[in-house]
Amino acid sequence: MHILRILTLTALLLPGLSLAETGTALKNDQIRAEPYSDAKVTGSIVRNDKVEILTRKGAWLNIKTPKTKGWVRLLSVKRGSASSGTSASDVLGLASGRSGTGKVVATTGVRGLNEEDLKSAKFDEPQVKTLEGYTQTAAQGQKFASKAGLKAAKVEYLPTPAQPSASNPSSGSTLPGGAK
Amino acid sequence: MIKRALPILLATLLGLPVQALAFDLEGTLKDAIKEKVKPSSQTDTEPEKKADTQTGSEPAFNLKSPSQEEEIQLGRQITGNLLGAAPLVKDAALQKYVNEVGCWVASQSERPDLPWHFGVIESADINAFAAPGGYVIITKGLYRKLESEAQLAGILGHEIAHVVRKHHLRLLQKSQLLNLGAKLLGNKLGKGDDTVQKVIGNGAEILARGLDKDAEYEADRMGVVLAARSGYEPFGLPEVLQSISETGNTSRVALLYKTHPHPDDRLLRLGDAIGERLDKVQGKTLEERFYKLKQ
Repeated sequence: MHILRILTLTALLLPGLSLAETGTALKNDQIRAEPYSDAKVTGSIVRNDKVEILTRKGAWLNIKTPKTKGWVRLLSVKRGSASSGTSASDVLGLASGRSGTGKVVATTGVRGLNEEDLKSAKFDEPQVKTLEGYTQTAAQGQKFASKAGLKAAKVEYLPTPAQPSASNPSSGSTLPGGAK
Repeated sequence: MIKRALPILLATLLGLPVQALAFDLEGTLKDAIKEKVKPSSQTDTEPEKKADTQTGSEPAFNLKSPSQEEEIQLGRQITGNLLGAAPLVKDAALQKYVNEVGCWVASQSERPDLPWHFGVIESADINAFAAPGGYVIITKGLYRKLESEAQLAGILGHEIAHVVRKHHLRLLQKSQLLNLGAKLLGNKLGKGDDTVQKVIGNGAEILARGLDKDAEYEADRMGVVLAARSGYEPFGLPEVLQSISETGNTSRVALLYKTHPHPDDRLLRLGDAIGERLDKVQGKTLEERFYKLKQ
């Protein structure tokens, strides 16, 4: 139990360390020699291909397929399932199950928010007041941003894509190999 | 017949489970009618309602085109109900931090002047909620999945987008509940929380209904851009979607999956929308400043 906890904390403190993850192609895309959109095409991936994810650089992933190595768009590949070790945070998640009254009711089961909980929920004025008490002013937000060197940038909203590149738009269902 | 068919049609248009919605509507309307006939005798409102000065002095309002104040009133009621189901995490530093990030990201939206409120609630579920007027709540389960401030900014950006685009307000307006409810009460609604509560249905059920998929895709696209405008690396939101997708279909994501398209579909749509457009954006991830939960 103790060891598990230490492992868990270690995993949380060192996020993104799991290199050489497995990934799955979300759509057909080209593999390029460099992480630039005008770099030479060295190969391609087809939706649902399994690939090995080596590193990431900004909007690009360095991947390895049985045939080639190179860079693809970050959002063309999703991180694979089995080897990626998300269970650590899940263990912690389960251990924090609480009831609506804030009392710990179970440490073994999953306690979440389902439809029934939401439907039968009763207004809690003191809680809203507490929430409103944490509100920050615009000036405070600005100061907080400046402290870390965050600067407002001009970025246009993204247009609605005309046609999704894969997956049935009306189904909303998972892709083969998805987690659902 | 028509009365019965209309909610079903609406439900179909909204992509909602017909059976459930039709049932809810009938139940809620029956309650509403009962309360209309017997006013103020047995409502479920809490005694502290009287202490609520913010709504106490409000004049009657029309929900067909609510003012900003009325929008906030609706959001406050929905959020208060949600907090009744799952209270705020008792960690003032966490709550302050989330408000600082959220307030900054919201300042880059079209509605910087709303009184924005952000909170983390005690729930192992992986989910986040937005309510009209600037209320944004994320669960502790989701917060645990985050690894950087840029990821938090992306998640909050998605929820801020729902508020900016008034997605939930529109859902309320579109729903048969509101139309009939408004008629029932003669369009001009009385003051007080029970009126507001009638409009939003039971408790915080509006948050369990789900928006149409396009609203979610739009909020994803806007969330990415709002984070980028705030100086963050734009891929925080898709990183979290990746992480949620990896979690698998446990009960902790049941409500999220019921109310949102699958994360893989969201990633795909985002990828199509982004293309090369954000290649030149340089942003910060700020892992170091990201507030770590105490337990």
